[in-house]
Amino acid sequence: MFVLDDLLFRPLIGIVDTLHSLALQELYDVEALEDERKENRLLYELGERSEEEYLDRKETIEAELELAREVREQFASGRVEVKR
Amino acid sequence: MSNSNRYVYGIVNTADTGNIEFETDAVAGADRVYTVTHRRLGAVVSNIDTTDPEETDEDAQRHDDVLREIMDYDGGKTIVPMQFGMAFENDRTLKNVLRGARPAFRRAMSDIEGRIELGLKLVTQEDGSVDRDEVEDAVSDELDPIAAQAVQNDRFSDRLVLNRSYLVDEDERESFDEAISRLEDRYGDELLVQYTGPFAPYSFVNVEIGAQSQ
Repeated sequence: MFVLDDLLFRPLIGIVDTLHSLALQELYDVEALEDERKENRLLYELGERSEEEYLDRKETIEAELELAREVREQFASGRVEVKR
Repeated sequence: MSNSNRYVYGIVNTADTGNIEFETDAVAGADRVYTVTHRRLGAVVSNIDTTDPEETDEDAQRHDDVLREIMDYDGGKTIVPMQFGMAFENDRTLKNVLRGARPAFRRAMSDIEGRIELGLKLVTQEDGSVDRDEVEDAVSDELDPIAAQAVQNDRFSDRLVLNRSYLVDEDERESFDEAISRLEDRYGDELLVQYTGPFAPYSFVNVEIGAQSQ
């Protein structure tokens, strides 16, 4: 049974790992967050966002960016473990 | 903490400008900018305590404001602008860079002399839509004949229909402003228009600086 389980499930686990890694990378997409930061600034400058909305959003994006950069560094160094 | 590092705004020809020095709100809390020279090239700098400054909105704005002050300094000066974040260990490393990139700086200076950079962004209204190709063609028809050069910038938002920078002779500034007004009249109901500048021509100089921070 061990051999059968191994043959059936190992490829599936590999795919899940890959999908999980891709999802993490998308979640911590530094470029997308940088674009969002620029968009936030632009919409504030154009008067579509109030100063309060702009500053709130800016704070959130900058926190997400910091986290995303850390995660990216860990990915690059191979220190991220995908846990099941 | 030491302030012996040098943050660079841009490069001037000191044969034309002399040594630039003035007090201002500079990057990272500095309050004075001045020139570090090598032969006729001068780097306009302020003191900083890092070679890797963080790009905050406030400091990016200060960088820009200092460049504009230099462009207006003593009747107007040509400066080859640096992008945000160029900082060097000390005067010696900076002078080495000036020496190494001297031909490139001189070429860049001659390319932008008497010219300014102007920016145009067109943005859809929230939930709005527009024929993007038609708008781009109309903008090109109006502005390209007046500008010396144009570049397409990053479209960082789905709502950006167009994001361009133009290099414009100072003598053509009025014609360019009039062309922008015509575009505003034509598209002002469907699009938000952001017309910015004048800036030092960042988008039109391409000087590679080796060993930037060391």
